[in-house]
Amino acid sequence: MRLDAYITEYAQKTPHQIVLEEGKISISYSCLDEDIDIIASSMGDFGHCRFAILAESGIQYIKILMAVYRSANIAIPLPIEFPKFSLEQILDNAHVNNIIATEAQYSRYGEDFFGRFGTVVIVSNNTSVKTLRKNIVNEANNPELRLVLYTSGTTGTPKGVMLSDRNLIANGESIIKVLGINSGDKGALVISPHHAFGNSIIDSHLMAGGAVRIGSMNFMESTFSLIKSGVSVFYGVPSTYRILLRYPERFKKAFENVRTAASAGGGMDALIVKEINELSPGTVILPMYGQTEATARLAYLPPEDVSEFIDSIGKPIPGVMLDVFDDENRSVGPDIRGELVARGENILLGYLDDEIATEKKLINGWMHTGDLAQKLPNGYFRLLGRKDDLIKIGDHRVNPREIEKHIENNTEVSRGFVVPVSHELMGTAISLMVIPKEGTEVDALFSFCRKNLPGYLCPREILFIDHLPLSENGKISNRSIIGEYQNVKNSV
Amino acid sequence: MEHIKNDILDYLKDNSFMDTNIGLNDNDSLTQNGIMDSIGLLELMDYICEKYDIEVPEDMLTPENFDSLQGITNLIVKLVK
Repeated sequence: MRLDAYITEYAQKTPHQIVLEEGKISISYSCLDEDIDIIASSMGDFGHCRFAILAESGIQYIKILMAVYRSANIAIPLPIEFPKFSLEQILDNAHVNNIIATEAQYSRYGEDFFGRFGTVVIVSNNTSVKTLRKNIVNEANNPELRLVLYTSGTTGTPKGVMLSDRNLIANGESIIKVLGINSGDKGALVISPHHAFGNSIIDSHLMAGGAVRIGSMNFMESTFSLIKSGVSVFYGVPSTYRILLRYPERFKKAFENVRTAASAGGGMDALIVKEINELSPGTVILPMYGQTEATARLAYLPPEDVSEFIDSIGKPIPGVMLDVFDDENRSVGPDIRGELVARGENILLGYLDDEIATEKKLINGWMHTGDLAQKLPNGYFRLLGRKDDLIKIGDHRVNPREIEKHIENNTEVSRGFVVPVSHELMGTAISLMVIPKEGTEVDALFSFCRKNLPGYLCPREILFIDHLPLSENGKISNRSIIGEYQNVKNSV
Repeated sequence: MEHIKNDILDYLKDNSFMDTNIGLNDNDSLTQNGIMDSIGLLELMDYICEKYDIEVPEDMLTPENFDSLQGITNLIVKLVK
């Protein structure tokens, strides 16, 4: 079954039920189903072709996504919050010939940007569709492929996670079970729908025949009004909650009728949990853990254990098996450190056009998460950092070595080092240490970062150092960089 | 009024994703044009509160007041009085 088929089913069973809301606009299952048909018919000549989607968050985005599914094509949503060159990197990597975009994004990016595509389809605000040009190139490989989500790619090499209909539906069903979502629920989508977490909110609520209210975190008054409009399940990354909790009185009123506050994308800390509990004692807090490579979710912390086990990721969601492996891929016992591995119907097909990365990620049917972990005696899992250098910045997984290389290659510095530092709202932000060379200017460096990196990657400060941050055995790692940063700060 | 607008424009040029070569109309959306994100808007709010010695009431955190150069300028003028 494909995801859009659920919409058709509910359009017959509960045609007048509201499915999507955005600002003052709302749309019923039957109207949504019809609009998807209209957009899908423009892609009817294509069958199993890659379609990039360039659309801002909103009802139009969901219509377009479902229309790509309905026309049996492959959706590649572009994260529009990324700088233009990052989007172009993703497009290079995705080898995509077709694009479908909203009018707003077409005029924002301009014809130059669209020049690379053989097919350009533009969807207007009233859902009329214009095909500017058309050139059909079918997908020869990956018969099950339906959706490609990009995990990184702000700098360095983007990786496209290939997901099937089965992946999407399996994960949607698990999430529905864990959160108890039903047709009476309204989920809040205030995070980007172009990434795994946001995508899973849409999938699970639509599969349950419920509703999604779409907004953003940009304007607090609008966000709190959105929550107060009858939202029963709120979703956020930890920084979403940190921002909302800056306004405790508003939070209290807005969350009064919110049944569940779910989180993912990063570890919830005890302080956030405590503050939510105090302000809205009736709201159940449900931290979840996952990866794009697992469609979205892998584990959750049952509400009754949130206070005691907030430093763990809890247990696998239904349909998923988790284990901890040693370096020889053997399962280890409780309290022993190893790599967290997962299997289930939600595990990715592979990385788009990258067999080597796929072979490293999927070994004997187990997906290797790259997260170090241990099993707890009660069967829960606790994370112990990363196997590689990846770090979480503002709840986004990033590779600091790629950011450093990007800065070194494009600015006047000899070397650059990314330091994760704590930040009031984002949890973790970046400080940048550089070894300067002649002509290095702090202002120029800041300016480069602001214009060429997404907001959460802009350094909070730039410090000059005069030697490499080496560890005792002469290597550079996150640990040695953080150590050097502490030395520099202590000596100031 | 004009000096407030120029001050905000300078702030945006220095602290946002705005391309300094591209003109920004007074009523252009900062969020829809990718100039500001949610964290950026909070930092901008902290900046104007400090710079103009004002407090922004929470019910004024709306797109009308924060999503354009004109909206922000009007908000400051209103609150400084």
